[in-house]
Amino acid sequence: MSYEFDQRIPVYLQVIALFKQRIATRELAPGQEIPSRRELAAQLGINPNTAQRAYKEMEEQQLITTERNVPSRITMDERIVEKIRSELLEAAVTEFIQSVQAIGAPLPEVVGKIEQAYANRGKQHA
Amino acid sequence: MLEVHGLKKRYGRKNVLDNVSFTVQPNTLTCLIGLNGAGKSTILKGIMGLIPLDSGTVLIDGTGSKDAVAYIPDLQTMPGHMTVGDALDYMNDHYADWNGETAESLLRTFQLMRTDVITDLSKGNQAKFNLILGFALDRPYLILDEPLAGIDIFTKEQIAWIFTSEFMEGRGILMTTHEIDEIEHLIDRVIFLQDGRVIDEHDAEEMRELHGKSVQDRMREVYAR
Repeated sequence: MSYEFDQRIPVYLQVIALFKQRIATRELAPGQEIPSRRELAAQLGINPNTAQRAYKEMEEQQLITTERNVPSRITMDERIVEKIRSELLEAAVTEFIQSVQAIGAPLPEVVGKIEQAYANRGKQHA
Repeated sequence: MLEVHGLKKRYGRKNVLDNVSFTVQPNTLTCLIGLNGAGKSTILKGIMGLIPLDSGTVLIDGTGSKDAVAYIPDLQTMPGHMTVGDALDYMNDHYADWNGETAESLLRTFQLMRTDVITDLSKGNQAKFNLILGFALDRPYLILDEPLAGIDIFTKEQIAWIFTSEFMEGRGILMTTHEIDEIEHLIDRVIFLQDGRVIDEHDAEEMRELHGKSVQDRMREVYAR
């Protein structure tokens, strides 16, 4: 599996974003073992140095924990998981508001559209 | 660290290399980028002592010895009538630091057969075979001249795999290229050459972080001016 990277954004930041997304959705569960740096590099098709840098940064942000001689794990700290989730949500909302404001749509109309779209998606998935 | 200081080379009145200096750190993939005729291959030959230089020094971990460097030129070095297996045995017989396990492992990954005759290999498979010759030498520095030139996109992706693998670890790699599209996210450092001079030098991630630019973007800026 090779992942498509945006060449204008640092690759290590894109790796961290990928992890954050999977932690927020619990696709990567608290305490779950994660691949070694070497495995991650092979899985994502990145330079092992970049994998190393992403892991180091994630350790500093306490997204993952590493102890000597055992594989790294996703944090068990629920507060951090919740923080990642709200960060991602906030970022998505901010981006959405920017595009909606660029069109100049008033809030009630936007909210109405969102509710309608959510309802339609619900029907499609049912 | 592989250090290149003030390389100068003239052919007649033409400055082929004009005071070229740079370093290759251990554990990094450094790319020498330049259009045809920029001096890329001349620099590599200069580093290996294969052509006389007018001035300049090359230091490898502080010494002038080339024993720590494997060099793979952009042409086939093995006699074409040899089979892949014979060539690997030949390497094993002649190089004390040849790693047979690495060679076998890469042979399997690249799906080359020991019985294949070198001259019959496709261009892509010749490139793979050349990479095996370099990577199976247990040396901390590896110099590759245009390892991806003229190869189709799918084969390029297969070959680029090696730069994501454990065989990268502990090595400082210097490679030349004039096309970086498929490998750009694998490069640690880029050095831009023009008319025998280093005109720009960047850490690839830093360039993205500070300037929001890809190596390609920068390449266009550098060579279009």
